[in-house]
Amino acid sequence: MFGRLLWKLLRSNRGRLAVALVAVISGAAVVSALLTVELDMSRKLTQEFRLLGPNVVIAPKGSTQPSIGAASPTLMDEQAVFPVVQQVSSLNIAAVVPYLYFVARVNQTPVVTAGTTIGEAIRSEPTWKVTGNIPTADPRESGVGRNVARQLGLAAGSQFDISYGSRTEHVTAAFVLDSGGPEDNQIFTDLQLAEGLTGLNGVELMQIRVNGTSQQVTDEVAKLAAALPRYDVKPIRQVSAAEGNLLDRTRLLVLSMVVLILALTALCVLATMAALATERRADVGLMKALGGTITRIVGLFLAELGVLGAFGGVIGCLVGVALAGWMGRRVFGTSIQPRWEIFPLTIALMVVVAMAGALPLQRLGKVKPAVILRGE
Amino acid sequence: MAPLVQIENLRKEFDNVRALDGVSFDVQAGEWIAIMGPSGSGKTTLINILGGLDTPTSGRALVDGTDVARLDEGGLAQFRAEKIGFIFQQFHLVNYLTALENVMLAQYFHSTTDEHEAREALGRVGLADRITHLPNQLSGGEQQRVAVARALINSPKLILADEPTGNLDEANEAIVLNLLRDLHSEGHTILMVTHAPSIGQMADRRIDLAHGRLAAIEHAVRRV
Repeated sequence: MFGRLLWKLLRSNRGRLAVALVAVISGAAVVSALLTVELDMSRKLTQEFRLLGPNVVIAPKGSTQPSIGAASPTLMDEQAVFPVVQQVSSLNIAAVVPYLYFVARVNQTPVVTAGTTIGEAIRSEPTWKVTGNIPTADPRESGVGRNVARQLGLAAGSQFDISYGSRTEHVTAAFVLDSGGPEDNQIFTDLQLAEGLTGLNGVELMQIRVNGTSQQVTDEVAKLAAALPRYDVKPIRQVSAAEGNLLDRTRLLVLSMVVLILALTALCVLATMAALATERRADVGLMKALGGTITRIVGLFLAELGVLGAFGGVIGCLVGVALAGWMGRRVFGTSIQPRWEIFPLTIALMVVVAMAGALPLQRLGKVKPAVILRGE
Repeated sequence: MAPLVQIENLRKEFDNVRALDGVSFDVQAGEWIAIMGPSGSGKTTLINILGGLDTPTSGRALVDGTDVARLDEGGLAQFRAEKIGFIFQQFHLVNYLTALENVMLAQYFHSTTDEHEAREALGRVGLADRITHLPNQLSGGEQQRVAVARALINSPKLILADEPTGNLDEANEAIVLNLLRDLHSEGHTILMVTHAPSIGQMADRRIDLAHGRLAAIEHAVRRV
C-alpha cells in the first residue's frame, strides 16, 4: 500500500512536482557537470601545462641561471647526467634538452646563441611557432628568433656566418622562431657546432619535461636532487606553482558553485513543498482521523521527495554528462570523460536536497483533524 | 457489563465559548444512539472528543475503557485506528485515491492492507463495480457508502457518524440509513449526530443537546 500511495501522491501532484523535478534535474545536471569538470580538471590542466614546456631544470650547483657568454661558465656533462635521470625518474620523461649559451657575432652584431639539440628543444616547447623546417641531421642548420631575423634581415632558408672569437661557421637559418619570449632574440645552433665554436665541452643546463601533476613533479625533483648531489635540480616554478594555484582556485570556484546550486535547488523544492503542504492539510487531517501517525504520514511525503530527488538526480546526471562534454569542448577545447563515480554522489546530494525541501511539512504535524474536518 | 462509552461531566470550551457543559451519559455496546440538537449545541464537539479528534477541557470520556483525554498524539492515533470508525457529512475521501484505495487507506493506518477484504467491504455497500472509481466519479451517495465501508473495514468498537445523510438526496439517504441499520443489527455500536427527527427515531435512544448541555435525558425512541 505504501508504494501504491506513493505512486498516487506523485501522480496527483505532478504539475507542482514537475516544477521541483525540473529544479532537481537542472541542479543535478550542473552539479554533476561541474564535479566532472573539477575531477577531470587536474588531468586536463596537467595536459594543458605540459604545453608550457619543460618543468625541471638541472644545472651545476650555484649556476642555474644561464651565464650567457661568461668567460668561463660552469659546465656539466649531459651524457653523464642523462642516464641518472632516466634511472631515477618514475615518471614519463617527455624531453631532455641541453643548453650551452654564448654570445656569438653575426655580421659583427652580437647575438645570444644557444647550442642545443634543436629538434628536441622545439618538441619540448609546444607553444613555439616555427616558420620553416626543423633541422634533422645537418648540424649546420640553425634557427633564428624573429627579432634577430628582423634585425639581421634573415628569413627561413637564409645563410649566414656565425663567429665566436676567431672561429666562424657558415650556417643556414632553417627556421624563424616566434616564442613570444627571450628566445625571439636568440640564435639556435646544433650543440656540437656550438661546442666547436666556443671550444667548450659540456652544457650549462638541462631542461627536462616530465609528465605528471604539480605534486608529482615536485616529488620527482626531490628524487632527482637526491640522486644528483652535485647539481641543482629545481622545478620551473612559474609552471608548477601556477598549475597548483589555478587548480586550487578552480576547485574552490567549482565547489562554491556546487554549494550555491544545491542551495538554490533546495529553495525551489522548498517553495513547491510549502505550497503542497498547504494543499495537503485536508488529506493530512483525514489521515490523522483514520489513525495515521504524523511520522507515518510525513514518511509518505518524504518518500515522495526521495523519489523526486533520486529520479531527478539520475536524469540530471545523464544531462550532466552532455553538459560536461559541452563545457570541455567550449572551455578546454577537448573532450571530458564522464566520471561515473560522480553519479551516486550527485544522486545522494539531490535526495538530501529534496529532503531539505520537506521543512514546510513540519507544519503538517500541527494539523488538528477536528479543525480540518470542520472545513476550516 | 460495563458500558462501552462512559461520558462523565464532559466540558469543552473554545475561546471562552462553552461548547459542552457537564455532559454525562453512558452507551452500552450494540446501542444505536442518535445525538440531536440545534446547531451549536455541541453535537459535533461531543463526537470529536469521543473519536479522539479533540480533547475535553475537563471531565472524562471513556471508550472501551480508554480515557481519551489522557492519550498522547501517538495514543490517540492508535485509538482512532483501532477503535473508531468515522462517517462524516462531507464524506472526506482522498480525491486521488480510488474507492478501493480509500478503504485500504484505513487498513494501512490500522495494520496491514488486505485488498480482498476491502473489495468485500465495498461489495457489502453495493459498490463492487465501482472500486476503481475516483471520488469525483462517484455520486454523493456512493461516496458516503465508500466512507461507510472505510469506517467498517477495521471492525471498530464504535462507529461515529456526524450527519451521515446531511448531504444526500432522499434515495441515497435511505441507502445509507439501511446500511447503518444493518450494522446495528449486526451488533455494532453507533453514535450518530443528526438534525432530522425521522432519522433520530431509528436509533435505540436519543440524546438531545442544547447549549452544550444534556437537554433531554435518554428517552426511548421508536425503532423503525
